[in-house]
Amino acid sequence: MSEAPLIRLSGVGKNHGSIIALREVSLEVDAGEVLCVLGDNGAGKSTLIKIIAGLHRHDAGGYEVAGEPVSFGSPRDALARGIATVYQDLAVVPLMPVWRNFFLGSEKRKGLGRMDIDHMRRTTRAELGEMGIDLRDVDQPIGTLSGGERQCVAIARAVHFGARALILDEPTAALGVKQAGTVLRYIVQARERSLAVVFITHNPHHAYPVGDRFLILKRGRSIGYHPKGEITRDELTALMAGGAELEQLAHELQSTQDSDAGAAAATALTKEAERLRPAD
Amino acid sequence: MRRGTAERRSSRGLRALAVAGILGGALALSACSSSGGKKSEGGGDGAGPRLKIAMITHSGPGDTFWDIVQKGAQAAAAKDNAEFLYSADPDGGKQAQLVQAAIDKKVDGIVVTFAKPDALKDVVARATAAKIPVVSINSGADVSARFGAVAHFGQDESIAGEAAGRELARIGAKNALCVVHEQGNVGLEDRCAGAKKTFGGKLENLFVQGTNMPQVKSSITAKLQADKGVDGILTLGAPFAATAVDAAKEAGSQAKVGTFDMNKDLIASIKSGTIRFAVDQQPYLQGYGAVDELWLLKTNGNVIGGGRPVLTGPAIVTKDNAASLEAFADRGTR
Amino acid sequence: MGRAAAEALPPPPSPPPPPAPDERMARRSPVRLLLGRPELGALLGAVALFAFFSLVADAFLQAGSFSTVLYAGSTFGIMAVGVSLLMIGGEFDLSAGVMVTTAALIAALVSYQFTLNVWAGVLVSLVLTLALGMVNGLLYVKTGLPSFIITLATFFMLAGANLGVTKAVTGNVATDSVRDMDGFGTARAVFASDVDVLGVNVNVTVFWWLGFVAIATWILLRTRIGNWIFAVGGSADSARAVGVPVARTKIGLFMGVAFCGWFSGMHLVFAFATVQSGEGVGNEFFYIICAVIGGCLLTGGYGSAIGAAIGAFIFGMTNKGIVYAEWNPDWFKFFLGAMLLIATVVNLVVRRRVERSK
Repeated sequence: MSEAPLIRLSGVGKNHGSIIALREVSLEVDAGEVLCVLGDNGAGKSTLIKIIAGLHRHDAGGYEVAGEPVSFGSPRDALARGIATVYQDLAVVPLMPVWRNFFLGSEKRKGLGRMDIDHMRRTTRAELGEMGIDLRDVDQPIGTLSGGERQCVAIARAVHFGARALILDEPTAALGVKQAGTVLRYIVQARERSLAVVFITHNPHHAYPVGDRFLILKRGRSIGYHPKGEITRDELTALMAGGAELEQLAHELQSTQDSDAGAAAATALTKEAERLRPAD
Repeated sequence: MRRGTAERRSSRGLRALAVAGILGGALALSACSSSGGKKSEGGGDGAGPRLKIAMITHSGPGDTFWDIVQKGAQAAAAKDNAEFLYSADPDGGKQAQLVQAAIDKKVDGIVVTFAKPDALKDVVARATAAKIPVVSINSGADVSARFGAVAHFGQDESIAGEAAGRELARIGAKNALCVVHEQGNVGLEDRCAGAKKTFGGKLENLFVQGTNMPQVKSSITAKLQADKGVDGILTLGAPFAATAVDAAKEAGSQAKVGTFDMNKDLIASIKSGTIRFAVDQQPYLQGYGAVDELWLLKTNGNVIGGGRPVLTGPAIVTKDNAASLEAFADRGTR
Repeated sequence: MGRAAAEALPPPPSPPPPPAPDERMARRSPVRLLLGRPELGALLGAVALFAFFSLVADAFLQAGSFSTVLYAGSTFGIMAVGVSLLMIGGEFDLSAGVMVTTAALIAALVSYQFTLNVWAGVLVSLVLTLALGMVNGLLYVKTGLPSFIITLATFFMLAGANLGVTKAVTGNVATDSVRDMDGFGTARAVFASDVDVLGVNVNVTVFWWLGFVAIATWILLRTRIGNWIFAVGGSADSARAVGVPVARTKIGLFMGVAFCGWFSGMHLVFAFATVQSGEGVGNEFFYIICAVIGGCLLTGGYGSAIGAAIGAFIFGMTNKGIVYAEWNPDWFKFFLGAMLLIATVVNLVVRRRVERSK
């Protein structure tokens, strides 16, 4: 292995026609590290993730994987380099059993085109068990799992199939506090397994407990790139939301919560965060 | 204006038609010939009046019967130096639209079928108002004159049914089935009703899905299994007769099979005796007669039938006369 | 607003928690597993209909009658195998009905016109019919239009071509008889013969049907392809994201329908020797109905080949049961519809029960 970080972007830019989606963004993430990419909607997070995942080619700057310059034409190219992406909305096929989802696209076979179903069931159970998901039945449709569990299956799948780097696109966005906590726990576990993790979120409360470095995007530009020691959670929140946008953020959060559950959820999140902190 | 461009289009269409003939008529080309023909206005540059006669029927695609009607009409048109335009739609409303299209094209005569009389009543009235003579064929003998058609060529389905009933009795059946391959078709029901009148024995209707031959077969088999006493089967279309023979074999039944309508395979079966008789309504004659009548009317003011329906059938085909008809059926005109 | 305010505003609260821990640990009993199968409702519907017709139709319970019902079921069922797999894969094929006729016409025309052994026609038909399925699939994949539209278009085109080509080649609307040609006997033995089972003649299509259902079930449940079929129907984007070749899978499914169409077409040719070019229109819906009765979701991603087979059996049983019961034929379609309604309602009720008990 080279000394270079697993993923390095230097001065990367991307234009969609005349619209500049991303400009001069640099980042590094190495094995056993979590890089959190923060930013509001339209900040360029999804463009960034698509470049790393191989869905888009960057127009400017450099993209290196383990020191080698790359330019991916498709997600398959990225996968071949060990870069796996878990998308928020298309992680799994809801009607299919958990084990079929787990091995989808990488089915284990044993000759004559037959799948090694026993092996696949066992492995699914074991891998998920290792991540702390105890399933009633690996044959249940994955749609019957909670959103957090589904994200976790998708993450466990990526890890199992040899991903060196995990790109997580807003894995906690549609989740409740408890489920989000579950997902955050797997991010930490993935790091402990020496994976490089790029965690995209717009929630600094989710990012801060698990991140080693924080990249804050705004209008396609990097407005901050800090290791954890250099920034506090409040600073991170302020930096990300910043001035006028803070009110907007507050409003956004307010509109998505019941007034009753608000306080309870706040406590739950704080506890969750406390629980996660010793892990890093 | 419109006529001029249409004529140019037509001569191109005719050339294409000729080319199609030379090339042996692949799919695309044969489709082209029918649309070219329909659109064309007739190349009347030559000597003498060249009539344009449109036939609009209720036939669905791929029906042997209507194929023979067309062949008759084309033969008459060729002999009379008339241009023959064919179109069809099983839906009454769409059939009426096709008639209207023929009126718009100012054809010299229209041949229609009154399978759904009410749908066609108004548009036929518009044709006669536009001084375009109308002849009806096949179905609608009862309404033809009333709606203003000058003549009707067809088989009276009840009379044909009666003939079939007599044939069934002649071959010794006592308990027979009448296999209806299209439910709700009045003509088919009339055939069964007519046959019932003269048969003398028990005649029961059986409905089958005509577009699905395995289902036709299994339904007849099922009926024969359910009622072992059935000793005769009357089908209402030629392709179903052969299937009825198979079904009888399958069910171990001795039922004898007779049918309406003709095709060339049927002739062979009648010759060999597996099918006992066919009641032919001579579709060729319907197409030929209608076109010829329009030509006679235009050129000599003749009316055939004296305002009464001209019966083209029933003509009974049995083992005795099958051999003499074989050659005609082989070329698809019987 | 300061930092404190932001701190006090946590992200959205949690939805209801997942089921209680003790239920999570409970294993599902075999009965519950059976109840979870998509074909269960159809099976109960079939049993109910069978009992019903046994009571009202004397002739229904004879072995010969059962063989006729199975034959009727098989002619729908063979197509329903391909159609159900395609539906699980999230697509429709409205050209399936006329494609059967196309396959039959190709075999009959090629054999007769070139005076070949009929097996040559059979093979040419296989190649061309599979190509048609591939065209359906490619059109779908390349245009991205709904398969409903694509195959509606090919349905019309095939219906027209069936007639146009037949008429151009033979001058008639039906093919010439291939009954006395070389190879007809062996081909008939394969595609349309009767097999004596304990004194009862059973059409060979019944065995092919069962064989195809078994193969399709094996593919669906035991192979990688089966996994892909469920995935492309359940969520094509998710499947693509994890590297499933979505386009190839879908094209393959369309070709599967074409294969079944080819086989059904061969049955037509060798059972009836001549082929009417206008046949087959409307049958595509019966195939889809069989699959739906059998538990396939119209939206894809869920279903089974066995279920579709039971659906075809229900359809065949209803179709012939009405004849055995000797009900007034004028009401045939009414009875057919009513029986199908009963079968599907039983299916639905059972599935709702199962879902509630989960």
